[in-house]
Amino acid sequence: MKDAAPAEEQQKPAVEPIKPPAVLRSNVRLITNAVAEKETRTLFGRVLRQTAAVRRQLTAQELQAFLASALPPASAAAQQLQEAVKQVGHGAADLDMCPARAAPPPANALPEVEMYAHLLTLMFLLDHKQYELAQQVAGAAVDRLSTFNRRTLDVIAARICSYLSLAHERAGSLPAIRSRLLALHRTAVLRHDDVGAETLLNLLLRNYLADSLYDQAERLRAKAQRPETSRSMQQACRYLHYLGRIRAVQLEYSEAKDCLQQAVRKAPTSAVGFRVAVAKWLVLVRLLLGEVPDRTEFTAPDTAAPLAPYFDLTQAVRGGDLSAFSAVAAAHEAVFRADRTHNLVVRLRHNVIRAGLRRISLAYFRISLADVAAKLGLASVTDTESIVAKAIRDGGIEGVIDHEAGTLEAARPADIYATDEPQAAFHARIAFCMDVHNEAVKAMRYGAGGGAVKEFEDATALREKMEEELQAALEEDEDF
Amino acid sequence: MAGATSAAHVLALLDEDEDSLKLYALQQLDRSGHDFWFQISSSIAAIEALYEDEDFSHRELAALVASKVFYHLGDLDDALTYALGAGSLFDVNSSAEYVQTILARCIDTYVEQRVKEAEGGGASLDGRLVAIVERLFERCYSDGQYEQAVGIALESRRLDQLERAITSSPDAVRTLKYALEVSQKLVVSRDFRNQVLRLVVRLYEGVAAPDYAAICRCLMFLDDPEEVAAILFRLLGGSDDDALLAYQIAFDLVDAELQAFMGKVNARLDQLAPSPAPAAAPAPAAGEAAAPPAAAEGGDQMEMDQAAAAAAPAAEEDASPFAKRLSRFKSVMSGAVPIELERQFLARHNHADLQILKNIRATVEPRNSVCHSATVFANSLMHCGTTVDAFLRENLDWLKKATNWAKFSATAGLGVIHRGNVGKSRAIMAPYLPSAPGGSTPSPYSEGGALYALGLIHTSHGADVREFLLGSLRGTQHEVTQHGACLGLGIAALGTEDEEAFEDVKNVLYMDNAVAGEAAGLSLGLLFAGSGTDKAAELLAYAHETQHEKIIRGVAVGLALVQYGREEAAEGMIEQMTRELDPILRYGGMFVTGLAYCGTSNNAAIQKLLHFAVSDVSNDVRRAAVLNLGFLLASTPEQCPKIVSLLAESYNPHVRYGAAMAVGIACAGTGMREAMALLEPLVKDSVDFVQQGALIALALVLVEQPESKAKTLRGHIDRLYGNKGAEIMTRMGAIMAAGILDAGGCNATLGLRSRSGHFRRTAVIGLALFTQYWYWYPLSYCISLAVQPTALIGVDASLQAPKHFQVVSNCKPSQFAYAPPVKVDDKKDKAKLPTAVLSTTVRAKARAAKKAKDAAAGDGGGGAAAAAATPPEAMDTDKPAGGEAAAAAAAADGEKKEGGEAEEGGEKKKEEKAAPEPASFTVDNPARVAPGQRKYISFPPGQRFQPIRPAPSGFVLLRDSQPDGGEVEYLFQEDKPAAAAAPAAAAAAAEGAAAPAAAAGAGDEPPPPEPFEYVPS
Repeated sequence: MKDAAPAEEQQKPAVEPIKPPAVLRSNVRLITNAVAEKETRTLFGRVLRQTAAVRRQLTAQELQAFLASALPPASAAAQQLQEAVKQVGHGAADLDMCPARAAPPPANALPEVEMYAHLLTLMFLLDHKQYELAQQVAGAAVDRLSTFNRRTLDVIAARICSYLSLAHERAGSLPAIRSRLLALHRTAVLRHDDVGAETLLNLLLRNYLADSLYDQAERLRAKAQRPETSRSMQQACRYLHYLGRIRAVQLEYSEAKDCLQQAVRKAPTSAVGFRVAVAKWLVLVRLLLGEVPDRTEFTAPDTAAPLAPYFDLTQAVRGGDLSAFSAVAAAHEAVFRADRTHNLVVRLRHNVIRAGLRRISLAYFRISLADVAAKLGLASVTDTESIVAKAIRDGGIEGVIDHEAGTLEAARPADIYATDEPQAAFHARIAFCMDVHNEAVKAMRYGAGGGAVKEFEDATALREKMEEELQAALEEDEDF
Repeated sequence: MAGATSAAHVLALLDEDEDSLKLYALQQLDRSGHDFWFQISSSIAAIEALYEDEDFSHRELAALVASKVFYHLGDLDDALTYALGAGSLFDVNSSAEYVQTILARCIDTYVEQRVKEAEGGGASLDGRLVAIVERLFERCYSDGQYEQAVGIALESRRLDQLERAITSSPDAVRTLKYALEVSQKLVVSRDFRNQVLRLVVRLYEGVAAPDYAAICRCLMFLDDPEEVAAILFRLLGGSDDDALLAYQIAFDLVDAELQAFMGKVNARLDQLAPSPAPAAAPAPAAGEAAAPPAAAEGGDQMEMDQAAAAAAPAAEEDASPFAKRLSRFKSVMSGAVPIELERQFLARHNHADLQILKNIRATVEPRNSVCHSATVFANSLMHCGTTVDAFLRENLDWLKKATNWAKFSATAGLGVIHRGNVGKSRAIMAPYLPSAPGGSTPSPYSEGGALYALGLIHTSHGADVREFLLGSLRGTQHEVTQHGACLGLGIAALGTEDEEAFEDVKNVLYMDNAVAGEAAGLSLGLLFAGSGTDKAAELLAYAHETQHEKIIRGVAVGLALVQYGREEAAEGMIEQMTRELDPILRYGGMFVTGLAYCGTSNNAAIQKLLHFAVSDVSNDVRRAAVLNLGFLLASTPEQCPKIVSLLAESYNPHVRYGAAMAVGIACAGTGMREAMALLEPLVKDSVDFVQQGALIALALVLVEQPESKAKTLRGHIDRLYGNKGAEIMTRMGAIMAAGILDAGGCNATLGLRSRSGHFRRTAVIGLALFTQYWYWYPLSYCISLAVQPTALIGVDASLQAPKHFQVVSNCKPSQFAYAPPVKVDDKKDKAKLPTAVLSTTVRAKARAAKKAKDAAAGDGGGGAAAAAATPPEAMDTDKPAGGEAAAAAAAADGEKKEGGEAEEGGEKKKEEKAAPEPASFTVDNPARVAPGQRKYISFPPGQRFQPIRPAPSGFVLLRDSQPDGGEVEYLFQEDKPAAAAAPAAAAAAAEGAAAPAAAAGAGDEPPPPEPFEYVPS
């Protein structure tokens, strides 16, 4: 009945927002097609994308109606899901309010459709913060999944596993499912379920990192079998993120920087949360490496607010002002602890001192160590002498200490263009570009039958088909 | 999860000296290995050391932990090794993923080692591995998973376990069937397959109700005529049902076309028949106890039969019914009955569209001998087996343009048209044969062609003409006549291993005459097809000696025929021939590979061919290598387009041609979409002979496929054959494709496989010879060896086809209908066409109604035969309304023209023109069942005649459920005289081809269409 009103406007589906029930129905059709054609890649991707588009608009009634139409009413899955949705929808009357739709429920549903229904319910429960229920539903779904061995299920199964993990994470019971995830990962590897194996490895890494078990995570990562090429860009990004974090904690900063940078570059622009999380780590790693991130990296409108503490931190490090640094660190300690970056922030203290020394050595031809101590805010002159000596030995500053006079004599700044420095910088850029290119080449996929032209035709045909399907779904919608 | 987030503390215990601490650590690790394997894996050396340590008390536990860790690391081989070391701790019965994975690995390893051992690798098996596999077998038996046990037994070549699996299964017959099917499909090694077959046969005989048809099929593979004869003899001596079964088996055996085998069975039966015939009669009377040992094997069977038909004891059967049965049986075995029935079917149902040929003839300029002979070929194949030679008779002057070898081919074409007309073969060909009494002296070309034609008529059933052909061969010194005689003899006596013929043909070969020698080489191959005889070495030596390329090629291809189906046994020959310096012998080597492994999809052979396809220096060899992939993949046609798809885009046109032909051969008669998708672009190739190959291959793929699929090919053919701008080769391909597409009057397909699924040697060899048309056009006629009528013919105990037997086809009639006839080219006629059609239809209807009343009037050579007898002038004017006779000829056509507009094609549904198309329809005996239609065929219950084995095509023996239900009407009875007359007419026509003056005398009354073509409902 409520569909009757916008019936006229539905003539222009391109402009109008699409109704969730229509999308869900078209998704079920897509899944059926995909299973019939044994297609495991593109069609399921489309299903999940279309689902994500309408996820926020989905209401309890619509979901219930969908469950009633997609699943055989007598099956255990249908009853469990209905029950779960009903608890969220506040009141048992809802089901009666939406009259039985014209299409009679099927006698038996494809496992893919059944799992898709589970997935929808899970999303719905998580959106409504019903973590307990979500855990139950996800647990049941994973149990059910283990009874099938179908490659067409892989994509949906991987998604369900990640929601299982999310439900536990929100509820704070991540360690409880570690063993289960390990078992699932093993099964996925044995069945050559690449998507599943990749997803579960990431979930496990996340699980370990949440408990700061960096050593465990690294061992698992090193020993677990990984598919040669990643099948999902999102999972590849996550993996790089976790790897970068592990490397950062293990003091391998340049490797960590590479990983995190790749993760940021590969992440879709819409994944703001992920980009912010990676950017935080990246800022710290770069600071630890002695680099100073560009100011613009902190001023992008959607990331400016969450990155503000790190901006302050960067400024403090850049200035080499130890007291300012301490102030910033103290002010934002809660944030750093929440971000699990606090230990890296602590490590930054040395970098602050070194940055300060660098400024001093550039500014003064000769300066007494006492003055250095005062400028850096260090307590004792003896400590300062040691710190300066170490900095000179590490190549942080150039100069000599006159122990007799208690002064630091800085060397004349050499012409940087006469050194290898520009060459090295240039090389680094070239290496980066080559890397990006190689990654891009690796990411390319070719269809079974032929070259790019065919693929292109397919894409056009696919789009047309998709539009047709949507149109059909909308027309069907009007009939009700 | 309680506590531990790391296994480090437990691992530390492993370094302790105390054994109990180590044991505790191992127990802990065994329990929690699942969660901490990645940690344990860094200490795996310590655990391995514990396992190696002889003094350690719990080595097995250490092995189990190590095994689990390796399993998690994905190193299954190491995991298996340690699991074996774990002994009883490794629980085979657990359903855990770890155990299941290791067990699967265990079986894989075992199978690998067993195969290596069987092939002489000599790797000794691990006793522990064997023990586990034995435990697995036990589990299969206890769980009732007998099919799984059969699979493992076959894979690991364990005949003992196979036997146990079959004997211990509750449904032994089903398991046997499964074992048979699987062994045919999956067992690569020929030796082992034969062992399995032997075992299956032995076990089959042990079960309560043996499937004799399956047993005989197995025995045929094993080449054991004695046993087959014994079984058949027993069946013939049994009840009526047993006799029916024996006939059915005979039809199946004939279908496989193994002439030598049949001969041996017949001979063996003759040995058995005279003495035990009296013995068989008293045996049942005396009861089972007194049954002689010979009958004891079939005792169960007899007992049952006697229980069923106690009132009709075999005791009263004296020798004469048995003798009658035996003679009937022999008439089947000799091929006389099946060939005659199929010929009748083809003749009556002939739907070849003469208009196509007329159009081609009109556009092809007669001076162009290539297209001319291609047109003759198309006509022959279109009418293959139908005995309709109207086109030739109508166009005698045109036909006369064929000279020399074209004349040879044209005469051979007559043999194709009259294929199977064994009784009249000599009469038909009489005008041309060397010693024709009273005939004018024919040219050696028509002489040779006639001998070749004689072979084609008697394909694989050449006992009758062998003497004559041998005599002709000896009696001539002319190379062309020798050529024809050699080919004819080879085809007629295919695979008989006839020593006498061998000597004569060899003499011809050693005369070192290029023309005769080529045919002699092929003929020797045909005579010894599939035998792998050691005479092959002699032939190969001669091929090295001779200077004539033609002879070398003939011998090389002949050697390929000798190695047909020999699989591994042919490896020596393959090795030798593929390493030859002479490209022609390498070319033959490719065919040896293709034919020896025909239909096996053997990986090694495929790789070898692919290697030659891309690396040989000779284009001929590369072409042959790709082409032979088609033979290799014939059992899995869906693979072929995938494998050759890249080769089809090769820069080398020879490779492209080979790819096209490979797809054509592998997918022959399947109408597969992928095959068409691959071939379509090749039709527009830039090179003429690739276009030719693509057209022919498309025709091979689309034989007797629904018109919706064949439409595009027909479009190509129409566009190309008359196109003066197209290359001659392309046009030739188009014309040949037209012939192949409508082979056997639209009622035949290219049956590389028999109805029971195995490969027909004759057909495969025919197709292999057909591909030699590249060098020698007359060999193109060999494709008729592969033509198989798509009929479902019901036959009762008297081996006649009852008239009142029907099958139901659960599909729309239009789906598999004949192609609508080609419209007359002349554009001026178009306006008149509707009225003409209407009047035709009215007359045709009137005629049909009249004929329907007169049930006995069904005689003559069918609608097409009617067309054959139409006065030529009527056809030449191309006006269907031209005369009464033309109306008769076009009766079916005219109706279909009208039907075509309303998307209706079949003549079977005349009454329902306006009504919506029914979802099913019934077809009378003998029914045309297109290959795609087979899955829709069902047998309606409640008929008087019921099939003893419901098969959707081929010969089906019928049981008369009402033996006293009145006189049975049989098909093809009244027209025996007519059938006799037809060849006479044809003979006259044939004579006319050489001497046109005789042509006018074809005074056979045009027979009307038979009533049995219309469903009276």
